[in-house]
Amino acid sequence: MLEYPVAFHRELGMWVVSSHELCLETMKDLRFSPNFRHWEYAPPPKPEAEKDDFDIVTDHSLFAVSPAQHLRLRKLTMPAFARHVMSRIDDRIRDLIVDCFETIGPADEFDAYSAIAANLPARSIARMVGVPPEDEKIFIKFSNSVVKASRINLTERERKQAQHDSLEGFAYLKNAIADRRQRTYPSDDFLAALVTAGEQDDRLDDWDILAVVMALIAAGADTAVDLHTYVLQGLLSHPEQYRMLQAKPALQENAIIEALRRGSPGKLPIFRFATQDIEFGGQQIRKGQAILVNLAAAWRDPQKWNDPDALDITRNLEGHIVFGAGPHFCIGTYLVRTQGGIMLEEFIRRFPQAELARGDGDLEYDYEHHNARRIVRLNVRTNAGASIRNAA
Amino acid sequence: MSETAMKQWICIICGFVYDEAAGLPEHGIAPGTRFETFPDDWTCPECGSPKSSFEEA
Repeated sequence: MLEYPVAFHRELGMWVVSSHELCLETMKDLRFSPNFRHWEYAPPPKPEAEKDDFDIVTDHSLFAVSPAQHLRLRKLTMPAFARHVMSRIDDRIRDLIVDCFETIGPADEFDAYSAIAANLPARSIARMVGVPPEDEKIFIKFSNSVVKASRINLTERERKQAQHDSLEGFAYLKNAIADRRQRTYPSDDFLAALVTAGEQDDRLDDWDILAVVMALIAAGADTAVDLHTYVLQGLLSHPEQYRMLQAKPALQENAIIEALRRGSPGKLPIFRFATQDIEFGGQQIRKGQAILVNLAAAWRDPQKWNDPDALDITRNLEGHIVFGAGPHFCIGTYLVRTQGGIMLEEFIRRFPQAELARGDGDLEYDYEHHNARRIVRLNVRTNAGASIRNAA
Repeated sequence: MSETAMKQWICIICGFVYDEAAGLPEHGIAPGTRFETFPDDWTCPECGSPKSSFEEA
């Protein structure tokens, strides 16, 4: 891969880009579209009359619209995602995180996947969007079905079912958007921010808003599950790094990004499709061809990172592409960093002596997951008793 | 130009804010450096988007 950073993979029938430098360039280059409709083998689009809400919202999605429309959507939605807005999200989701730890209580041992990672992300997004606790179940079903419908390893029947299961959530959200449009009093949730985003003559319509919520779910619900497990697994399997973070809390954000870089929770790369003939990395890429952007290789590219296999929370991560790069840079990045940061803060406060149970935490993966190397068991020994004894 | 006329610029892709008064010392940009003086090929340090993706905050 180092010798041929851009190579055509005959069996896959697509180009594979593997170096950090060229993965970055691919993601920044507008001639490479994330819309699979540009692919030479793309299936024909559904007739308009057969499209349901899921299909229509997918057509409005950030990956499907033109670069100009994409820029418009990002510009209109960015204020709702910016770092300073996310810092206010802290107040809204902290109690959810504290609740998880209260449920764990003084246990000697617990599974960080089921107690924390599987519990938090979708509920956090429900809070952020402005879904009240009594409607969380509808939203979580919606979130799960939207993510499932995007899987590549489903049968046609399973995909239709998942798509169908999402329709209740779409109806719920359309009502919620209508409610925000009618409100005469200020509201500070995300739907309200999207309804009022932009200038008077350039507002988001309902489909645009639903597309953004769907993007947020895709970017911040399912993937954030892995953020929690990989951050804890990375730190607890390197006790010296865990202790260093306790001594230097300012390293928290760096530690989260470094754990993701090294852990590489994504199983699949991302794809781009050439919208024109392009000379790239010394190769001739034809219009319509697919490009596999091999992020896992880039995140451990020795030409970019010293000792790339090591976890080093003090590493200079400047120029990293853990959250992607360019126009499709992860829209939920500050949300998941905020969420991961609060989780880590609470974890360290309660379990400073924590370690992985029996060496590796009885680590178990879900090999069937559609795009993640999903950790589904990570047993943590809290050693909370030892902390209390030491304190006494 | 006075200190009070310093501006902030925001990347419309990722929300990164460049504050002229603070500069970006960790990227070799001294406090007080005007955004307009950045070279055309300068990119957002957070997401890598071009200079043109920044707007006055």
